[in-house]
Amino acid sequence: MSVGGTPRRIDSEGKVTGVTEYPADRIPPDALVAKVVFTNQAHARLTSLDVRAAEVTPGVVAVFTAPDVPVNVYGLTLPDQPVFVGTSHTGRTDVPCDVSRWEADHLALVVAETAHAADQAAAAIVATWEPLPVLGDIDEAMAPGAPLLHPENGLGHNVYTTYNIRKGDMAAGWAAAAAVVEATYEVPYQEHAYLQPEAGMAYIDDHGRVTVEIAGQWTHEDREQIAHALDLPEDEIRVIYPAIGGAFGGREDTSLQIVLALAAWRLHQRGEHRPVGCVWSREESIVGHHKRHRGRIQARWGADAEGRITAVESEAWLDAGGYNYTSNKVLGNLHLGQGGPYEVPNAQVTSHAVYTNAVPGGAFRGFGGPQSAYVAECQMNKLAEALGLDPVEIRRRNVLRDGSIGITQTPMPDGVTIAQVVEACAAAASTPPPASPSEPFTPFATLGPAAGDLRRGRGFACAFKNVGFSFGFPERCEAEIVLHGAVGDDAPHGADLFHAGADVGQGAHTVFTQMAAEALGLPIERVHGHFSDTAITGDSGSASASRLTWMAGNAILGAAEEADKAWRNGDRPAVGKFRYVPPPTEALDPETGVCTPNFSYGYVAQAVELTVDTGTGHIRVDRVVSTHDVGRAINPDLVVAQIEGGVVQAHGYVLSEDLQVRDARIQTPRLSTYLIPGIGDGPTVIEPLILELADPIGPWGARGMAEMPMMTYAPAVVAALHDATGVWFDAFPLTPSRVLARLNESGRP
Amino acid sequence: MTPFDYQRIPEAAAVPAQLTPTVRPLAGGTDLLTRLKACLDRPDALVDLKASDLGRAIDRVDGGWRLGALVTLSRIQHHPGLRADVPALAEAVSQAATPQLRNRATIAGNLLQRPRCWYFRNERVQCWLAGGEGCPARSGRNEHHAVFDTDGPCVATHPSDPAAALVALGATVTVLDGGGGERELAVADLLVPPTDERRVEHVLAADDVITAVTVPSAPRSTYLKAMDRAVWAFALVGVAAAVSADGEVRLVASGVANTPWRLAGAEAALAGPGLTPEAIDRAAAAATDGAAPLAENGYKLPLLRTLTHRALTAVA
Repeated sequence: MSVGGTPRRIDSEGKVTGVTEYPADRIPPDALVAKVVFTNQAHARLTSLDVRAAEVTPGVVAVFTAPDVPVNVYGLTLPDQPVFVGTSHTGRTDVPCDVSRWEADHLALVVAETAHAADQAAAAIVATWEPLPVLGDIDEAMAPGAPLLHPENGLGHNVYTTYNIRKGDMAAGWAAAAAVVEATYEVPYQEHAYLQPEAGMAYIDDHGRVTVEIAGQWTHEDREQIAHALDLPEDEIRVIYPAIGGAFGGREDTSLQIVLALAAWRLHQRGEHRPVGCVWSREESIVGHHKRHRGRIQARWGADAEGRITAVESEAWLDAGGYNYTSNKVLGNLHLGQGGPYEVPNAQVTSHAVYTNAVPGGAFRGFGGPQSAYVAECQMNKLAEALGLDPVEIRRRNVLRDGSIGITQTPMPDGVTIAQVVEACAAAASTPPPASPSEPFTPFATLGPAAGDLRRGRGFACAFKNVGFSFGFPERCEAEIVLHGAVGDDAPHGADLFHAGADVGQGAHTVFTQMAAEALGLPIERVHGHFSDTAITGDSGSASASRLTWMAGNAILGAAEEADKAWRNGDRPAVGKFRYVPPPTEALDPETGVCTPNFSYGYVAQAVELTVDTGTGHIRVDRVVSTHDVGRAINPDLVVAQIEGGVVQAHGYVLSEDLQVRDARIQTPRLSTYLIPGIGDGPTVIEPLILELADPIGPWGARGMAEMPMMTYAPAVVAALHDATGVWFDAFPLTPSRVLARLNESGRP
Repeated sequence: MTPFDYQRIPEAAAVPAQLTPTVRPLAGGTDLLTRLKACLDRPDALVDLKASDLGRAIDRVDGGWRLGALVTLSRIQHHPGLRADVPALAEAVSQAATPQLRNRATIAGNLLQRPRCWYFRNERVQCWLAGGEGCPARSGRNEHHAVFDTDGPCVATHPSDPAAALVALGATVTVLDGGGGERELAVADLLVPPTDERRVEHVLAADDVITAVTVPSAPRSTYLKAMDRAVWAFALVGVAAAVSADGEVRLVASGVANTPWRLAGAEAALAGPGLTPEAIDRAAAAATDGAAPLAENGYKLPLLRTLTHRALTAVA
């Protein structure tokens, strides 16, 4: 049995021995060095650009700017961003390209013999700017008279995407409420902080294709965006992913793909055939790519005396930054989550994405879900407090079940298991934990316990999150299997699997191989994978939305069936290609939000125990029980790794990661000032609890699960902190400074 | 980073004469390298002190210890004698940075590192300390900045943990100058707020090299540090408390001013050598006397009082 087992990861030996090549390792010594020159202007109009001095800097080969780009605009879900800010462009877009709307907008790409020459040339570029008012946050962007960042969209304001839900009768809902809780929540940025900063190289391959080797999440989408900007047919572009050092949504949008392709293509036209490589520093990475959205959500919920939700009124604003990236899609996901995983009879929910001059918001593990789950679960815990109900009991009375009508007024897909997940989590969390006396925190290891200042608390939260792309997106995934054997053989002796899905470090390629072996009845060693190269693999869709195992598994099952048919037909080799298309979804109705938003969900509940030092504001999470219905654990060890990694990433989001932005500029572009969790910081005990309640349409019953650990950690920690101190925290990260300030202002404990 | 020459001089005594404002000494490099990479420093040449015979020994001397300038933080952290006899120093170094950095960083270099203010460290910002004008932190993002002496030209905090411990312990440094002269300087006098003419946090001239640090014994001493995470972060607030051989209690805070900050009010409130619970309460309450926090760092005041209370309790 390949599915359900934990074979050695197919990438483990290379990664342990250091043989594995990440994008920067692929750049040959004779490659030219590219440097991206940022505009360094949060909001300004370019009035002149002179690169002559840069071009004649010794060692410089070329300087590329806006006029070099055939179609000077790009964007994953909305083309609203110039490839280069320039004084003129080819006119093939409505987006004005002479305005820098973000400090990391690209001004030029310098290509040189050495990094030093590229740096010197970059410094020699002379740009003159007309300063424009900087819209540092959503309040400034929505203020009357604020300048329009994208006047080309014709909307007349910077709020450029709004979704609605109008369900039931709000007046009746409030009338039936025995308790109403209301608050305004602020959610912070989060930086992906993947191990491998952006890096890549481009060259012209043997078939004349403009080829980019880089780390991304969706080879074919990268190819489409490069082809669009270069105005070339897609089959003249090739995208290859070597090993990828983490992604978490941070590589969903392109970084260096287009500019590297442009450089290799233009240099080739000039007779220069050397590859062009670029490696970003950590500072360039943090300044130069999008973040989890910061935002604000105002929520007002009512429940009757039994704790049943009667009304949800909620309005959210996400800071999209200077460009859309995937904000319109993230917003939809956040929108859907504002009512939580509950039956909500009456709802008025509104969600907005707002252009500002800050760093763009975009995809990050959970994709809008963690923000809305934080609000929904804090509201639920506050209702439980107001009504004197146990936090688990109030959820028991409200959670979605099979046959429930969701907040968008259509039935949930079959296999709604959040009730079972909540029960399992509550039962596990109720098991008395190992004795954990009030020890001093690590920073005070030299001290005896300051027992008088320590308080302990417990908190609970649950959530759901879509698996796969939502709201009518043309979701699909392709796989190809080739079976080898002689004409007379009963069964193939081996197989090749072709799949584009990105292994960003989560182990996707191991799981693909396991699933192919299972589907073919072959030992895993007989299946040879060929991955993530648009020249040889079909479109897989992205490594995102917790979808890859789910979608790839269904595609591999189909391809195995097709290959088996060909085998039985006598074909040698026997080739099976399959394009899996899941049940359709629908876009939100603009007025009411009525739609079938998703075809599958994952379900999660977490129980947190923590200790807070009220004298210093430090929080230690003693234990988290992270409970997941994964449908079927294709590879149990990798499922556990996703849970543990996700919990630690969530821990940083909630407790220490604090991106400082001032006047729309990032002030903490280093890992010495942007503090991801260290070895001493994560929860003392992480207990992954895995349920296997089959998704009726998942491969082998599997559900997506990779984003789920991020969903509920913030509200569970905040509930535990409230349990410990009596104080609610409607904003995080819960750094010592915020905790101390809030405790002092509350006069407690 | 801009290119520079790399030089080795075997005789430590010959190094100071070679130093100029643009020919700088290199020891562990754990701070200098980050400044070079950010183009905050652009030296023409670096003289690698590790290639010289500059002191690396930890010696027992009358009344205390003498540490060669190149002694690493990790050696201090793991030295049984220092842990027993000057625990404040051992605790301070053990809470600084990471094991990798402590293996590399030297005690003298640690005292001379530059502030971690994110405006100062940003090569795109020319603040007063970086040679420009104005302090963007004063009205900007100042959660991690000073709460004492905040009417000066710079509100960055000194990043060193051992510095606060060494001031509390009454430590001194030995300095060799370019003319061959040697002088002894209290760490408290080595580290002073920057001025218009001297925009660094110490009084050393360009051709001065620290050769040793001398630390008086104080078995009753401690250093407590509050951070944004459990390891590898600079102090939000740190407090060193030391009871000297003659019974004097010194309290010095890190993370609150341009330099290690003597908590004179708290020391006075102790009103005598007896660390009774009542005296400790009084001292903790007085720890923030004279503080003038900025918009975002008022939380440092209760933190400072808490750490002062716990530090005094620990050495009582």
